[in-house]
Amino acid sequence: MIELLASSIRLATPLLFASMGGLLCERAGVATICLEGVMLTSAWTAAVVNYYTHNAWLAVTVALWVGALTMGIHAFLTISAKADQIISGVVVNFLAAGITPLLTNAIFGAPTNTPSIPLTDRFHNLEIWGLSAIPGLGKILFSHPPLIYIALLLPFAVHFAVYRTGFGLRLLASGDGPEALRTAGVSPGRVRYAALLIGGALTSLGGTFLSISHTSQFTRDMTAGRGFIALTALIFGKWRPVPTFFACLFFGFADALQIQLQSTKVFGIQFPVQFIQALPYLVTLVVLVGFIGKAIPPLSIGKRLG
Amino acid sequence: MKKLWDALKGPIAGVLLSLAVSAALLAFLGESPFVLLEALQSTLFTSFGLGYTLFYATPLIFTGLAVAVCFHCGLFNIGAEGQLYLGSIGIVIIGSLFPNLPGILALVLGISAAFLFGGLWGGLAGLLKAKRGSHEVIVTILLNFVGIALVNYLILYPLRNRTVQNPETLEVTAPYFLPTLSDAFGLFESTPVNLALFLAVLTAVGAFFFLFRTAWGYELRAVGACNRASEFAGISVGRNMMLAMFLGGGLAGMVGVNEVMGHQHKLVEGFSPQYGFTGIAVALLARNHPIGILLSAVLFGALHNSAREIEFLSDKVSKELSLVLQGLIIAFVASHYLFEHTLKRRKKEAA
Repeated sequence: MIELLASSIRLATPLLFASMGGLLCERAGVATICLEGVMLTSAWTAAVVNYYTHNAWLAVTVALWVGALTMGIHAFLTISAKADQIISGVVVNFLAAGITPLLTNAIFGAPTNTPSIPLTDRFHNLEIWGLSAIPGLGKILFSHPPLIYIALLLPFAVHFAVYRTGFGLRLLASGDGPEALRTAGVSPGRVRYAALLIGGALTSLGGTFLSISHTSQFTRDMTAGRGFIALTALIFGKWRPVPTFFACLFFGFADALQIQLQSTKVFGIQFPVQFIQALPYLVTLVVLVGFIGKAIPPLSIGKRLG
Repeated sequence: MKKLWDALKGPIAGVLLSLAVSAALLAFLGESPFVLLEALQSTLFTSFGLGYTLFYATPLIFTGLAVAVCFHCGLFNIGAEGQLYLGSIGIVIIGSLFPNLPGILALVLGISAAFLFGGLWGGLAGLLKAKRGSHEVIVTILLNFVGIALVNYLILYPLRNRTVQNPETLEVTAPYFLPTLSDAFGLFESTPVNLALFLAVLTAVGAFFFLFRTAWGYELRAVGACNRASEFAGISVGRNMMLAMFLGGGLAGMVGVNEVMGHQHKLVEGFSPQYGFTGIAVALLARNHPIGILLSAVLFGALHNSAREIEFLSDKVSKELSLVLQGLIIAFVASHYLFEHTLKRRKKEAA
């Protein structure tokens, strides 16, 4: 049970980063179905930088910029070129899914995965002094690699940034009433650019976590729909940071349960692995359809700026 | 004539720009930038190459239509990938239930099964959208994962051909076979392009008449144009959304006709090189016009075929090149505003 909960936290981490990144973008009024693509390019970058430089923190930093840049394409297409936001998101997902195996193939000779990063160069578990010794809870919360702590604190930081700062106020206005923002002399386009670049950087941490902390290499399509699950968590949390945080933990738990079920019998029956693997998506779907009720997105989402 | 040119110039410019950008990418990867043009030439202008191109174009016509019909109703169907697997397994299921039917009946039943299985899977997303307001983009993406898992289970357990190592189903019986064009007419050497191509062309023409020449199609497009206004006009928004998603799913399901009845005669795990997602690019390039989709599907079939050929010839480039091409083409077509706006401003300044 303790292992299951610790594993839930690990699997919730990429969702937390991506949904917080997505939150900034969507609250600014830009629909962001390209979280998947942003995570892919940054996962690739982090794996390659960590492999060559033997420095995990450098990998995190470079991937931050690549994440921002990838989301920057979405920003350019939706804000400057006034492309449809969903279509632009599809573009970014296509480009990321194509360019990462192409580059992997060009550099390492096969499109499937980058070489494994040696154990000594990777992130290690950071036991929080004193707290990790608490029976049960210590193992669940306080014995993880560093990115996980950042993920667990991030929703509260985003909450503060969105509801308690001037930037947050402009962000919300850009999403709910860009015309009002313009009347006040602030360019909603600029606010959206800023939100998307920062959102892209936050989302990148989800990809980075997958390739250099959760595993030790980039594999083709390694995000496996997590960008979309993060998006559902965001809707489930009604675009608010703290409820979204709990939604991510719930989906992380579903994923952890899925992995555990693959090796255990329930009531003496071993379920086929295909059904078990579909479980997180099925849970997400049921939650989306059954329990969310009426979710009201930021008012101007999906609409072009005039 | 001028109208036709106005409709075509945007997509043509988009394709040319994308080819130029990918040539630069090829050079960056250490490959000759002209390798794509050479591959395109052999995939479009040799009878063997064209045969494979048309074989890939056939499913893309179906998935392109699957996206376009939903688009006309204001819905974005990203679920064609799951729907096409459901349609394909539908043929195998019906084929194994009724193995001994007379020829024409088996063909009709097989095609209907593909349409119905895909249609119900797509219609499910339409139902959830209409009744629960769940966003169809996220629902169809999640249904992809669930649907493909379900089909994989059916391939691996109840319908599996246990005499072979590869995960694949038992074969359907001979009455369900659609002949290849090389068997029927001696065309395209020994490539797998088959009569499903004609079915795809007929379907596109049918989709055109449905959308633009019938009252049902008019209602569906009215909902897409403005669902509040159409509701006031007495059109049921929910019913049209369900209808659009059912038709979209059914069209995607028809991919199975090409794959199962025309080519493999069985369903192999993971057969689709993302036909469903490429359908989005096909529809967007054609601006969702069914006849345009025929042209755009051939182009994307050729690009996919070329990317495979390049992967075979080059050790520096893998077949994912076609994903990048698709992304670029959609990007250029979707940002036509940018070009038109800049051109207009130039003209104004010149005046």
